[in-house]
Amino acid sequence: MIRAGIDIIASIAAGFYTTGRHLFVRPFTESYPEYKRPLPARSRARIILTRDPEGRERCVACYLCSGVCPVNCISMQAAEDSRGRRYAAWFRINFGRCIYCGLCEQACPTSAIQLTPDFEHIRRDLLDMVFEKQDLLVDHCGKDPDYDFYQHAGVVTGLAGKGDHISENAPVNTRTNMP
Amino acid sequence: MWFWLLGYLVLMAKITAVLTAVMVLAAYLVLVERKLLGRFQVRYGPNRAGIYGILQPVADGIKLLLKEDLMPEGADRAIFLAAPAVVAITALMMFAVVPFGPRLTIGGREIPMVITDINVGLLYVFALSSLGVYGVALGGWASNSKYALLGGIRGAAQMISYELALGLSIVPVVMLAGSFSLVDIVNAQAGLPFILVQPLAFGVFLISAMAETKRIPFDLPEAETELGAGYHTEYSGMRFGLFFLGEYVHMQVMGALVAVFFLGGWRGPVLPPPVWLLVKIVLVVLFMIWVRATLPRLRYDQLMNLGWKVLIPLALVNILITGAFMAA
Amino acid sequence: MPKLIIDNLEIEVPEGTRVIEAAEKLGIYIPRFCFHHALGAVGACRVCAVKVLEGAVEGVQMSCMIDAQDGMKVSTTDPEAADFRRSVIEWLMLNHPHDCPVCDEGGHCLLQDLTVAGGHSIRRYEGGKRTYTDQYLGPLVQHEMNRCIQCYRCVRFYREYSGYNDLGVTGIAGRVYFGRLREGVLESPFAGNLIDICPTGVFTDKPSRYTGRRWDFERTPGVCIHCSLGCRTTVSARYRQVGRMEGRFSQRVNGDFICDRGRYGFYYADRPGRPRSGRISGQTVSVDQAVYEARDRLQRITEEHGPQAVGVIGSGRSSLQTQSAMVHLCRTTGWQGPVFRNTRITGAAADTAACALNPENAVSMRELETADAILAVGADPVNEAPVLALAMRQAQRAGAQITAIDPRPLEWPFDFEHLACRAEEIGEALASAAERLSDSRRPVVICGTEITDAGIVLQAADLVAGLRGSGKTAGLFCTLPQANSFGAALLDECNACAADLAARVEAGQIRALAVIESDLWHDFPDRPQLEKALEKLDLLVSVDFLDTPLFEKADIGIPSLTVFEAGGIYVNQEGRAQQVRPAHTGGLPITVTGAGDHPPRTFAPNVPGRDMPAAWVTAFCLAGQAPPETDAQMTAWMRYNFAVLSDLARMDADGVRLFAGGKTPIAHEATMPEKPEQCLELLLAAAVFGGEPMSDYSQCLRELAGLPAVWMDRADADRHGIAAGDRVGLGFENGEVSFVVRISDHMAPGVLVVYRHPDIDWQPRAGDTRYNIREDRIRRIEKA
Repeated sequence: MIRAGIDIIASIAAGFYTTGRHLFVRPFTESYPEYKRPLPARSRARIILTRDPEGRERCVACYLCSGVCPVNCISMQAAEDSRGRRYAAWFRINFGRCIYCGLCEQACPTSAIQLTPDFEHIRRDLLDMVFEKQDLLVDHCGKDPDYDFYQHAGVVTGLAGKGDHISENAPVNTRTNMP
Repeated sequence: MWFWLLGYLVLMAKITAVLTAVMVLAAYLVLVERKLLGRFQVRYGPNRAGIYGILQPVADGIKLLLKEDLMPEGADRAIFLAAPAVVAITALMMFAVVPFGPRLTIGGREIPMVITDINVGLLYVFALSSLGVYGVALGGWASNSKYALLGGIRGAAQMISYELALGLSIVPVVMLAGSFSLVDIVNAQAGLPFILVQPLAFGVFLISAMAETKRIPFDLPEAETELGAGYHTEYSGMRFGLFFLGEYVHMQVMGALVAVFFLGGWRGPVLPPPVWLLVKIVLVVLFMIWVRATLPRLRYDQLMNLGWKVLIPLALVNILITGAFMAA
Repeated sequence: MPKLIIDNLEIEVPEGTRVIEAAEKLGIYIPRFCFHHALGAVGACRVCAVKVLEGAVEGVQMSCMIDAQDGMKVSTTDPEAADFRRSVIEWLMLNHPHDCPVCDEGGHCLLQDLTVAGGHSIRRYEGGKRTYTDQYLGPLVQHEMNRCIQCYRCVRFYREYSGYNDLGVTGIAGRVYFGRLREGVLESPFAGNLIDICPTGVFTDKPSRYTGRRWDFERTPGVCIHCSLGCRTTVSARYRQVGRMEGRFSQRVNGDFICDRGRYGFYYADRPGRPRSGRISGQTVSVDQAVYEARDRLQRITEEHGPQAVGVIGSGRSSLQTQSAMVHLCRTTGWQGPVFRNTRITGAAADTAACALNPENAVSMRELETADAILAVGADPVNEAPVLALAMRQAQRAGAQITAIDPRPLEWPFDFEHLACRAEEIGEALASAAERLSDSRRPVVICGTEITDAGIVLQAADLVAGLRGSGKTAGLFCTLPQANSFGAALLDECNACAADLAARVEAGQIRALAVIESDLWHDFPDRPQLEKALEKLDLLVSVDFLDTPLFEKADIGIPSLTVFEAGGIYVNQEGRAQQVRPAHTGGLPITVTGAGDHPPRTFAPNVPGRDMPAAWVTAFCLAGQAPPETDAQMTAWMRYNFAVLSDLARMDADGVRLFAGGKTPIAHEATMPEKPEQCLELLLAAAVFGGEPMSDYSQCLRELAGLPAVWMDRADADRHGIAAGDRVGLGFENGEVSFVVRISDHMAPGVLVVYRHPDIDWQPRAGDTRYNIREDRIRRIEKA
């Protein structure tokens, strides 16, 4: 019993020693905003819409990001542009609702929607947190510098016809019976 | 006639000085605690309001004063409003009997350096400490909230349990000093502080004092992780501030009682007596903060076990031993 | 009745049931691409593989190709079968393009679902993908052959099921191609079903291209109101706007398919010009203001001139709610009406058709498919009620003999015998053709009401009664002019028509008209009489969701809700009352509030444009009464106030059949005066595209309507020296109208047929759909 009492006191003393020692350890708190830690490129904060390597909008308004968004903060309307490419006539993200889960980025088949490390985009007015397409579009490819969805899609646009895309054969002649 | 007036003026001056010191100290204890807890956890603690965060208590005070005073629907209005005041006032009133120096002689008149020296000062302290329970229990009950109610019930049970150990642990001190007056107890330690004579009573008293102040590891009535904020869940603004203030004043009271009962009160070399008392209070309070940074919260059954099965028997045994020695 | 075990569950199915169907009855969904319960099985896709553990042929088999047999034991989860199916999906995906994000099928694509279900996510084959050149198939269907998986559903539907031949399959081996021989507009008015039936995105909906994904749409069961059949549809709405319409399976009405008019006719609901605010003398006011003004002014006229001075006109395109509220309005105020038909001839024909139906002789379209002889009298299903033609096609495929008695140049997608005769000879022809049904056991007489009159309808009903008397399960199937003409016939109480009211306006007896959801300008046959009547009126109130010319001319215009916003009950031509639920809550669509761009960056608690009431609410307000608060209360109110509607309580998923009981139809006059010498009879007939006012607002359907044309018998054309493709002018009393000439060898001689067309802003002076034109007033303007 005395042993047990000594054990108890010793273990409590060990706890006090541990916490007491911390008093003399330099805090490793990073003082934001005096010091801003460089964040990894895949940190999830403000969402952007990137462009493909040719500088065209990547977003094809497929509604996958808005479909997967758990808080329904993305809305858009798809349309067809003069070159036959599907694009977003308007695209809106309500950052007041966004929880920065990154599911939209995972769902995006064209690498258009990407999350960036920039988390400092708080606004005083809630309506200013609603970003339209022009606020979201950037002039670079983001984290995926090479991918061009339309090079793989196989749909005819003003830029490429049938068989002009990656890993596509020329259109077949359906009028011949030659094997 | 002027004699009475002067007496009142001196009394008022002492009350003002003590209250000011206690309030300012309470406010800065919050800052000190947060800073220290930060350092215990290898971070900085508040450092934005003023240099090293020294204006933090001011900022907190302004915030608390300006916040909306909410009252839950179905709350018992009168009791809800009164409860925080009960807690704060009882804590403050305990300082009335704490001596902070030897008698001063100014212009041929002796002025006792205590607000009032009553011969049952010790009982007065325990009576007020027990009254403090009402603030907690009634505040929790009047909130009409299940978390607050649970917090209040826990507070009542815990404080009544530890009141006993607290009182019993101090009996040997009374026996040694031969008086209930805090002034006499301090005087009795002129040679040797009682901590050296009564280490067991000191330990039991310190633990019980922490339980009385509802601090970690005995913060079951608040228990943020279980009850939101316990008995003061539904309080906001300065009413919450009063609970807060009460807790920190209570800490100081307990620090002062530990100093008076075991550490020789204001006695010490070189420094003036009130400073010695202050130093001793602060040391006890710093220890309480250290405890908070170190120990986890007890479970309810552990709390009760410790109180009833360990501390009270220990205190009783201590009384017997002390009595035996004194008789011998 | 073979009894078999599928996945350890026993089921007994009728002889000839395929295993895939037997499994479906058990709730086991076997993957399929080519199999479709309406089209049958071909075994083209190989994805419905199951393992037969015990039976005549054991091993991995295609469940759509084997009949359920007694003692058979089948496993759908056997690893061998599952692996087979997984491989099939991978093969099918070898050439499938990587375009799901820009494909409209994505989200309701069977191939996508099964690919995901089968776990195929990486294309292991590294060779190139096969591509095809696509075709322009008209304004309704978008073609993208790269996505094809050769299930043959499209050609099976298009050629076998619906009977059109311009879409087919060409090529061999890996180059099989589904398309037209030459690029061009699909001829079938059922082409839109290719979109529903294609398991992937080869055929997608062109007008709704890119509007939304299936998961974004509020999908509501609806009923088509573009003809009297009441086909079931699925309405897809998004952003307070109907985006897409699909066919919905119905056991009793339309089966799986709908026509293109029903599929694409909804664009009237959100067109920019649709009235969305009240109007008083051309001034835009709030809806409430317009309603109160209308009520006050109508009341004032009632007080000054008596209740007989106000007339109420409705139509067969209103829901049963609106129609009954109008009857209630006239009951409480004493106003004249409501009249639901324009003239006595067509009104009487439709009324008679509705009253002639009884629980014995009424047949649904599904039952009609099992008929063994069909006699169509003055009915042109392809143009009047297109899905009826599909049902007749199925009957014909099952061996039914089909005979048509009609003056028009009928072009039906199945074999039939056409007894071409002039409209007034239909009665005689019907009498002599009746014996054609004598050998049949389940004959059906289809009777149109567009160019016939009540006498012929009665004659057809008598014929059916006679056939039933001789022990046959004969059925009568009448087509009606509008979606809810049957409801109008049930509710009508005043035995009058719009022409009667117009005459009373001219006589000065009626001083105010309330026209509720009726397009008199378009439908009323006698334009000059209408114009004169409107001029004499003190007050014209128009309640409508279309910006018809009448609404523009009205003193007070009150907007109403479309079927997509208000829902309602519609009674189809066989008396089947079907409930339509609102597809969306109404209000200005986001395309309008955002003007094509993003929605406005403001927040307001009220949705703009949601203050419009349904027409029946307005009718109650005009009567000075509070309308029932909920749809259910409205239905209950209708049941209590109208004995003929009491059966609505029994309405279920199939609707409920309502019958007129012993109601007397509106009196019909003698038929047309005899045709004078040297005259051709001009028939104004319904057309599948362009003949129905609501769907005329759909741009894509207007494109299909072509140019206004007049059909002539070859002999008549030769006599006038007119060739096909010429432009001719027909001189009427109120001006000349020009048409392109089409010539037919199998229409009644002495008849000119003009199909209704939105560009023809003209109505024959007298008579309903028939008009006698002197031969010397036919003038060739331009040679082809």
